[in-house]
Amino acid sequence: MKYRIYPPIPFSVRAIYGTVAACGIFMWVSGSQQEWEEFKRPIINVLDAKTGLTKFVRTALLILLPIGLWGFAYNSFLPSFDEPIELRTVHPAPPATTKVHGKTYVLQTAANPFRINTEGKYDQAYSNAHIVSQDMGRLMKDVKNPEDNPWDPNAKGYIKHVREGGEIFFQNCHFCHGDNLNGRGLWAFAFNPIPANFTDAGTIAQLQETFVFWRVAKGGIGLPGEGFPWASVMPPWEQHLTVDEIWKVIMFEYWHTGYYPRTWE
Amino acid sequence: MNGNKSQNGLFEKRMVMNETTTPAEYGRRGLGAWLLSCGLLIGSLGLATTSHAEMAEGFAEGSRPAPPSAEQVEAGKRVYFTKCVWCHGVEGAGDGPGADRLWPRPRNFNAGTFKIRHTASGELPLIDVDLFQTVTHGLPGSAMPSWEGILTEDQRRDVLAFVTTELVKDRSWQDTEFEEFHVLQLDKIQPVAPSAESIKRGSELVKEMKCIECHGVEGRGDGNAFNLKDDWGFSIQPADWHKCWNFRGSRQDAYNVKNIFRTFSTGVSGTPMPSFADNTTVEDRWHIANYVNHLCERDVDVDIAGGNVTDEIAAALLAAKPRGIDPLTDKPKVDFVVPSKFVEGELPADEHDERWKLVDRRIVAMGGQITHKPRNFVTRIDDVWVQSLYNETHISFMFRWDDRTKSVQQDSVDWEPYEVNLGDYGIEEQAPGGSKFADDPEHPESIAAKQTAYQVFNDGLAFQFPIKWQELPAPRKPRYFWGDEGFPVDIAKWTADGELKAYQGEGWDVDFEDRDDFTEELKTVKAEWKDGRWTVIITRPLKGDYEEDAYIELGKYIPINFFVWDGHNGDVGRKMAVSAFYYLVLEPPIEKETYIYPTLAAIGLVLVEGWILTRRANRRKGKV
Repeated sequence: MKYRIYPPIPFSVRAIYGTVAACGIFMWVSGSQQEWEEFKRPIINVLDAKTGLTKFVRTALLILLPIGLWGFAYNSFLPSFDEPIELRTVHPAPPATTKVHGKTYVLQTAANPFRINTEGKYDQAYSNAHIVSQDMGRLMKDVKNPEDNPWDPNAKGYIKHVREGGEIFFQNCHFCHGDNLNGRGLWAFAFNPIPANFTDAGTIAQLQETFVFWRVAKGGIGLPGEGFPWASVMPPWEQHLTVDEIWKVIMFEYWHTGYYPRTWE
Repeated sequence: MNGNKSQNGLFEKRMVMNETTTPAEYGRRGLGAWLLSCGLLIGSLGLATTSHAEMAEGFAEGSRPAPPSAEQVEAGKRVYFTKCVWCHGVEGAGDGPGADRLWPRPRNFNAGTFKIRHTASGELPLIDVDLFQTVTHGLPGSAMPSWEGILTEDQRRDVLAFVTTELVKDRSWQDTEFEEFHVLQLDKIQPVAPSAESIKRGSELVKEMKCIECHGVEGRGDGNAFNLKDDWGFSIQPADWHKCWNFRGSRQDAYNVKNIFRTFSTGVSGTPMPSFADNTTVEDRWHIANYVNHLCERDVDVDIAGGNVTDEIAAALLAAKPRGIDPLTDKPKVDFVVPSKFVEGELPADEHDERWKLVDRRIVAMGGQITHKPRNFVTRIDDVWVQSLYNETHISFMFRWDDRTKSVQQDSVDWEPYEVNLGDYGIEEQAPGGSKFADDPEHPESIAAKQTAYQVFNDGLAFQFPIKWQELPAPRKPRYFWGDEGFPVDIAKWTADGELKAYQGEGWDVDFEDRDDFTEELKTVKAEWKDGRWTVIITRPLKGDYEEDAYIELGKYIPINFFVWDGHNGDVGRKMAVSAFYYLVLEPPIEKETYIYPTLAAIGLVLVEGWILTRRANRRKGKV
């Protein structure tokens, strides 16, 4: 699938490796006088052109080398207009606080108010227990248990909020982030940078829930400069959702992908 | 007309289904005269023979799937309630929380009506093949994604077991009295290789079979865009043959002609698209499939003259190469550089000018504007083709995009063209609905109903450059959406009522400023809607007032964005489709040095070769 290495290797690096490799080969073939003679013999033979074959090779080389050089030089003179490479920071440093709907949240201490156990206390271990595994096709544990199935009519607390988060996700977010939360929604092909893939171990799995809260609330326009805020079409969700809705949708994303938010412990 | 055949309840011999994935292996040896008339390679599955008088050419008796085990249904239920319920709903009625902002809506499974099948019109699909492929590859052009790599193969089969036993309520695969399976033998039928003759014949057949009445004379889906309904009463539109990557049944293999042959032979259940199996020969179906397949956009833009395909046009269609499909998106690969080439003298006056062939056309992928209110959840224009040429003083852009309807605003509106905050005038986004409208396709609030009942605004297109882009501190740009404070943009906006205006944008929620002086310099060379496609050619000077108008310079990467409005989609103001940042590059004419230096280098090398050989010869003489 990968036709080219991305990001591209800089010319300087390629030049260093190429030079070192060439020197190594040269030292290898010139280890002793005998080996050096051995290595030179085919070249000398072609230059001397004593047999029909070497004569043919010599003639071909004499003609092809200038033609090849001309083509190479012509190509290097032709202007090329490949897409410029602009590298952006995917996870910029978060601010200490963020203000959403008139309330200030300290990112280090804020917590998702819906990640609660049956007593109504914030409890990450409780919510983690509903996550089956992190391999392909992560699914809910048990359809019949109202503590595991967000769609159970008797679902309460954490798992009910997961469903509410899912409803918000599928009314707002899946257009870009996709039904699979893998960043391949309907319009992923039109946008650059492409939408984040939450199923990738490098996104929400290695972020704190409050970092995600900041990103969701402020969207692309709220990115610091190194994140290219002008290019991202990620909406500032504070314009569309309440604070509670944002927390719920984040919780759904963790439940659905089977990841746990990163914590300080 | 939806091509249902009467079920005659033939006696079916039950067969145990083996682990197959191709419909061909369901085949039975038939002894009808139809076998001889088409080049079927008969499989070695020697099974009971039936002489099925009604079976269409190319079909054979299929087998009935075995009922799934209770464990499998239970496992499938877990998959369904994790992954599928969000759109398809708790009862599988296509009414999950996501449904009301989707068009086409998610499938309502209850009636057992499925679009993409190998089985004859009106029959249930093959679970192991048709439904499995749908879950595996998704349905492009809708919100149904590919689940390959997300769900394991077993999980995909489990969820199908649950859906087909629990959520399909009105019919059953186990119903021996009414359900039959006549399977298109797609892998055994010898295709007619695409040729100019076949393509030309296909173009005649689509007229004879009246395909063009819905799909339009050039096949852009513009034939009957507003009066078609599906079985549930939701509005539906004919496919645009020029975008095969959006065919629901393209199976992540957009240019595969077999997909078209299959859809054409079996019809699209639940929609006005009938099966043509009973009134076309297999050979004719291949001709049509070849024609439709070659209409799908390729490397060159072939003018098909309103569907009146001559030998030359057919040959040109045949010669064109498929576009690269990006495996990540299953859509054409996007190149973010838009080249512009130099031409001598006057810029082209229309799209037929031969000089357009000098420069590649680039596809610009468009997505709904979903950043700020009113968000556009359903955009019907998902790409725009752009080409550009320039001369000493001006640059010309040719935009071509498929739009099933020409929309020109008829009613007067309360706002001015430069205003952007139209929420004040009641231009709103679709409410989430929460599947309120699932049982009521005519509900005026539903997206499906609105698709045929929006207030009509102007079709339109705009493109923007940063003003003074030369001074942008790299990689800084103005915001993609009409710039921002301190980084204004130069916007040129064309609308279908004939207006072409230059504006300055300073933010998504800041009214445009008119740039009247530059507006007079802009020129609509051509703007024509024909057979489902807009062709709009716009020229502008390379240079204006440096303080207000973007200077277009040679050999530089100039950031550019595109915006498109579909008037019949209720698009106006911020409700539209947008593109990412592209780069316009005016390719300078090739300099003389490009030829001189390589030639000097080559001559130099010849001299060096001569010197080496002479020296070698002299040394050998000396040795001898």
